Amino acid sequence: MNRITAFIARNRQFIPMISTAVLALTAYAIGAYFFVGMRNPQVFFNLFRNTAFTLISGIGMTLVILTGGIDLSVSGVVALTTVSSAVLLREGWNPWLVIVLMLLMGMSLGALMGGFIVKLKVQPFIATLAGMWFARGMCFFISDDAVQIDNHVFQIIGQTKLLIPGLMELSASRGTPPPYITIPVAVAFLLFIVVIFVAQYTRFGRTVYAIGGNEGRNEQSARLMGLPVDRTKFLVYTFNGFCSALAGLSFALFVESGHGLYAPGFELDVIASVVMGGTMLTGGAGYVFGTFFGVMVLAVTQVLIQFIGSLSSWWTKIVIGALTLIFIGVQTVLANRKGGRRGAQTAEKFVARRRLQQRLALGFSALLVVGIAAVVSITRAAPTATAETPAAAQCVVEFHEEEAESLLQGGAVIVYNRAAGPLCVDELYAIYPDGRVTADADGKKLEKQISPTEVEQVLVAISVDHKWFTNEIYSTYLNPCRQCFAHYIKIAYDGQEKAVTGVDGTTAMPPGYAFALAEIRPLLPVIVPAP
Amino acid sequence: MKKIFNRTFAWRQVTENTLFFPIVALSLILLFDFIFIPGFFSIENRDGNLHGSLIDIFRNGSTVMLLAIGMTLVIATGGVDLSVGATMAIAASVAGILMNPSALKNEVFFVTDPNYTFQPLWLVIVSALLVAILCGMWNGVLVAYMRIQPMVATLILMISGRGIAQLITNGLRVQITYRPYSFIGQGWIVLPFSLYIVAAVFAISWLLTRKTAIGMFIESVGTNFRSSFFSGIDEKKIKLLVYTFCGLCAGIAGLVASSNIKTSDANNIGLTTELDAILAVVIGGTAMKGGRFSLLASMVGALVMQAITQSMYAIGVPAFALQAIKAVVVILVILLYSEQVRTFVRGVSASKKVV
Repeated sequence: MNRITAFIARNRQFIPMISTAVLALTAYAIGAYFFVGMRNPQVFFNLFRNTAFTLISGIGMTLVILTGGIDLSVSGVVALTTVSSAVLLREGWNPWLVIVLMLLMGMSLGALMGGFIVKLKVQPFIATLAGMWFARGMCFFISDDAVQIDNHVFQIIGQTKLLIPGLMELSASRGTPPPYITIPVAVAFLLFIVVIFVAQYTRFGRTVYAIGGNEGRNEQSARLMGLPVDRTKFLVYTFNGFCSALAGLSFALFVESGHGLYAPGFELDVIASVVMGGTMLTGGAGYVFGTFFGVMVLAVTQVLIQFIGSLSSWWTKIVIGALTLIFIGVQTVLANRKGGRRGAQTAEKFVARRRLQQRLALGFSALLVVGIAAVVSITRAAPTATAETPAAAQCVVEFHEEEAESLLQGGAVIVYNRAAGPLCVDELYAIYPDGRVTADADGKKLEKQISPTEVEQVLVAISVDHKWFTNEIYSTYLNPCRQCFAHYIKIAYDGQEKAVTGVDGTTAMPPGYAFALAEIRPLLPVIVPAP
Repeated sequence: MKKIFNRTFAWRQVTENTLFFPIVALSLILLFDFIFIPGFFSIENRDGNLHGSLIDIFRNGSTVMLLAIGMTLVIATGGVDLSVGATMAIAASVAGILMNPSALKNEVFFVTDPNYTFQPLWLVIVSALLVAILCGMWNGVLVAYMRIQPMVATLILMISGRGIAQLITNGLRVQITYRPYSFIGQGWIVLPFSLYIVAAVFAISWLLTRKTAIGMFIESVGTNFRSSFFSGIDEKKIKLLVYTFCGLCAGIAGLVASSNIKTSDANNIGLTTELDAILAVVIGGTAMKGGRFSLLASMVGALVMQAITQSMYAIGVPAFALQAIKAVVVILVILLYSEQVRTFVRGVSASKKVV
């Protein structure tokens, strides 16, 4: 027993990291027990595919946090990288040159912020915040809209499947497609290994550890010891700029487009995974290796919430917040215990009082949690008690495809069926070339007259500007979320006929489809929803 | 000779004042507006109420000014509160759901009657503020009693707060049509009503910090919390107090913001305003390390932030691109505050003294 305690005491610094790893694995195992789908090896490897950019960014962030700093600019730099690479590729630049340029851009942004922090003694928080705003703002100087990436080289890099050796035979024997990872994942792991080596076994890495911790006092002693503090900090921020750009590139490969609004709040995800991986936010203690497990916890949480299905996506935020709290709590308790042992000569009474206070605080915060939960559940429960109708069931979407066909036979050129939404609507509109617009919503019939030229203009806009009859417009039907509408549009024009379905609130919808929707909607008669 | 000495002495006093740099920054921006935007300073009288770009700066800046009051006190104790934006969203969601609880039934009906509300107005405001105070207390307990770093402790609520706000409104945007509530953010009594709220909160906090010992306690905790502890100040209670107060300010700001846009939008209310508030405090000259603070200077800082936004909109910079310009201005302000510039200003005043 004593030996075990001694062993734990010796390896105390690994506790947060190991508990994160255990948590990630246990959560996945529990998920695999309940959901058959999660036993598919590809779902496991998708954890890496979906979080390659978080891991890349987390690696750089770990080093920054180890020096006692913070970098809030990552999400901005990621968005800027996606937009500028997409625009440069659209202009026909060499893809390899674009990649190198993006990495250089990230590094120079990082170096700029590092310079501000080191030379002008600006708080890292403020300097990188300004960096984030700058990067995000620049995105919209470059392009207001999302830009598609259809470069051949980028597609090859993004879609090449690296099969896992040893698992190919297994999946072949079970008749499933072999599991794979992508090139960004491999790059992330390569970077991961290199940085672990640099952090643990080089002079630079040890300086990083020496700078952080003890509320800036360690930095002072590192300086007095003659370590190159300024240079190291500068390099760390530059390196994180490189990581952000690399993360941005792999994000662009993942979504095959670029937009200034991509990756909102990404820096919070990254910081949360670094903290969950056991790195102290005061700096000086922690492991790059731990960040990997932090990212995995994040990924498993997302996958679990996807598989459970009935939970909304905001639960991810709450779960991540709660996990961060728990991990920070563990770290604080560990740090406090270390401090208590060092100051053994403190009066017994004082220590006892502090312990009591800590326990009281714990109890109080537990009470607070219960209180907030109670408030939430009361506000949720009270109106349900007075509710006149039972909660609406999930809408069943059935598009009126046959009716649409018959409307087209009857001379209509555009048939639009809108379904679902918060009120579970089911509306069928038809637009005729003579400007007649009919609507049929749950038995209620409406009619509206517009000018025939308007109809012609919209048809031209949809078929020519938005390329309705080309491969760029395709169906992206999913089950709509509770607030989202499902759309079914069928257009007959110029001897061609094509029906396409789509759902609000997904990123998959082709932009042209959304534009076409926006063209059609103003023409339609307004159906006032029943109160 | 004596006369000259007196004059330079006054000049020196002016440059050393905490209000000097924020006011210089504000007047630079207003000068820019004066030159490049015609009619920026015109104020018109509509039915006895004053309207104009200058008034708009005050009105739109009221949320950041409210946040800056609470944030100044928190930063003065050496902490920071990142969760104010999330707290705003939570308070707005609570208010929205109490006035129109239809979202809980998974359906939204658009109440068109401006006199309809599910709960009376006082209950709506009190419960929203109570929830905001709870959020602030949560931060305070984590920072003061659990001894977690302020940035991390408040980061937790910042991440999960928006999730909680969405949980309260079931992920829907609740439309607020109740007219008395929208008076909070959109009403006018000669000046915008939200300005009176800001003035009241400012007056209360000024009285609390400058006419009682609390202000000095806060500065002492920020300068050195250990020695404050040994000289008999209960630093934990002071910290708990300032975080709770910051939560309250965020709650009021959430009410103002939601009544301004007539929606409780859990995703967008108060998005990145925590950063605006922190920058307002920094522009106001309160050091992030804690210690001396000036509430009035932070208010001027908040106005600087809003004046930048307003004048950029006026010259037609798109909303998203605005961030880049804001960043550049922040950098300029930081440069203005750097030691090099300060010694330069001091040098100017000193050399005059010699003459």
